[in-house]
Amino acid sequence: MKLNTLTIKKLRRFYSIKRGYYAFIFLGLLILLSFAAELVVNSRALIVKYQGKYYFPTYTDMIAGETFGLDYAYETNYRELKANFERKNDGNWVLMPPAPYNAFENDLRSDSAPALPPSWSQRHFLGTDTSGRDVLARLVYGFRIAIFFSFTLIVSTYVVGIGIGCAMGYFGGGFDILFQRLIEIWSNVPIIYVVIIISSIVVPNFWWLIIIMVCFGWMGITWVMRTITYKEKARDYVLAARALGASNVRIIFLHIIPNTISVIVTYVPFSFSSGIVALTALDYLGFGLPPPTPSWGELIQQAWTNFSAWWLGASVITAMVLTLVAVTFIGEAVREAFDPKLHTVYE
Amino acid sequence: MQDKYTDDLLEVNELKMHFPIRGGIFQRQVGKVFAVDGISLGVGKGKTLGLVGESGCGKTTVGRCILRLYEPTGGRVIFEGKNLLGMDRRNLRAVRRNLQMIFQDPFESLNSRHVIANIIEEPFIVHRMGTPRQRRKWVYKLLERVGLARDAALRFPHEFSGGQRQRIGIARAIALNPKLIVCDEPVSALDVSIQSQVLNLLLELQQDMELSYLFIAHDLSVVKHISDTIAVMYLGRIVEQAPADDLYEMALHPYTQALIAAIPIADPSRKRDKKPLSGDVPSPINPPQGCHFHPRCPFVIDLCRQKEPFLKVKPENGGSDHWVACHRAGKI
Repeated sequence: MKLNTLTIKKLRRFYSIKRGYYAFIFLGLLILLSFAAELVVNSRALIVKYQGKYYFPTYTDMIAGETFGLDYAYETNYRELKANFERKNDGNWVLMPPAPYNAFENDLRSDSAPALPPSWSQRHFLGTDTSGRDVLARLVYGFRIAIFFSFTLIVSTYVVGIGIGCAMGYFGGGFDILFQRLIEIWSNVPIIYVVIIISSIVVPNFWWLIIIMVCFGWMGITWVMRTITYKEKARDYVLAARALGASNVRIIFLHIIPNTISVIVTYVPFSFSSGIVALTALDYLGFGLPPPTPSWGELIQQAWTNFSAWWLGASVITAMVLTLVAVTFIGEAVREAFDPKLHTVYE
Repeated sequence: MQDKYTDDLLEVNELKMHFPIRGGIFQRQVGKVFAVDGISLGVGKGKTLGLVGESGCGKTTVGRCILRLYEPTGGRVIFEGKNLLGMDRRNLRAVRRNLQMIFQDPFESLNSRHVIANIIEEPFIVHRMGTPRQRRKWVYKLLERVGLARDAALRFPHEFSGGQRQRIGIARAIALNPKLIVCDEPVSALDVSIQSQVLNLLLELQQDMELSYLFIAHDLSVVKHISDTIAVMYLGRIVEQAPADDLYEMALHPYTQALIAAIPIADPSRKRDKKPLSGDVPSPINPPQGCHFHPRCPFVIDLCRQKEPFLKVKPENGGSDHWVACHRAGKI
């Protein structure tokens, strides 16, 4: 597969817009890191050496405490195991991740009540929340869920929206008018009330939320797709394909959609940030993912009710601003780099 | 007129293409563009019919209607004895193997997202011919046939010049061994120096493959070079049709005469004996009464304003194949 030289030109332009390029690197690294979050922020040890044998518990099934000579059959508490081994000092050791907490455990202490402020010595780098859960862990895993949510949402809304928008533009006539009116009506359904109604019937899990959001969010891209398809289908290369006898499906998928990619791409970053914001807002209101799923919206809600625990608000707002600003910078750079006016021979 | 072309490969009968103009909230039809208003043509096997006219006279529309890229509002298009209008998709697809088109603008007619190999291969894929390996071989053969190097196959259209792109468009059109190619101003977007190369390629292909062409152009000098018969179009109708030499030597319609007089002659000392046409082509939304050409005609009489002239053969001029639609033909 050889890249079209025009595409290469666009990528070069994107690279030359430094603000967007560095934001892209920054966000890309964060996303990659979040995929490997278990290695950085986790209550399971990275490596355990016990009686000459090595254990790598990060991605395995849980290892019972009995395995390491402890007196319980449930999952090993590696932080205690580490302290234990260090006390005995008989050649066994535990290597913990830099932040040795997961997003679900309540680190409750007898001498103080959560939320605890950031503490280097306890390795709660961003403190704990009101139930004693590590804020950093909840931020990182919440980020991963939000990214995955947003990505799935984009793919599904675009598949539906591009499909319908393209069909509207390509077939035109009554089909187009019918769908225009349908979309206008459908766009007026207030999504937040739908979510509230549905969550009173079922506890919305990840896929429920995706389905609801796709059902009420696919309309945005249809207008754009409809317009570009109208423009593209009148061009000679489409006529040439029709003259050859190519089917409508072939023309839409092999000829028209590849020519609209540069327009679609410019919308992706903005859809991405709106996906993150939507999930955070729903979680904040309590209609999002069910607790105890780590989520930014839930952290914001805690911060709102506990102003004295400043580290909650500070960390989640900083994280949110950094992510959204990065996405916006990328979006701007993409839009600039893919601007068709810079690349077409015409105009 | 009805049976004039029955033996021909392509016969177009009273073809009409009236585009609706829609307006208002309910998109009701508020008018019509009479782009093509009753045209009859015939293209014989291995022959070339040149179709000439000003821009906006409907010649491109004729070409597109013949290929059913537009759905004509009336008439018949008979190709190899079968009427293409009203034919279903499957049968039409079979016909398209024999009926192809070359487009005017080589920058528009090739999909800029596909490499040349994919563009030329597409006809074979659409018609489910050959294995991928065979198709690759055919692509190379076609590239060679139109005078391009093999390494063109993996490049994108914008890496080529206009003339080269038009060769690619020609390769795509001849891929399926068609019998008739509609050439829609294939050279008018090219530099003059390239035009003759492409025209010669078309002539060569015609000899080798026994192709018939419907050659659409706005430039009489280009058509003269390539056509057996020439039809002159004005505002959706044919005003004159004759064998190429006949038309040049004794054009009967004042419009044709004006077109011929407008051909530049490489002789600065020669004086022009005819005035160029004044005015513009009237709007096809509201064509003039009577003869469409009467507002610009230097020989107009009252009859022209009232009665529409029909295409009639003019045997008194020697050839029996010279058709003209003018009340005053032969008298001017």
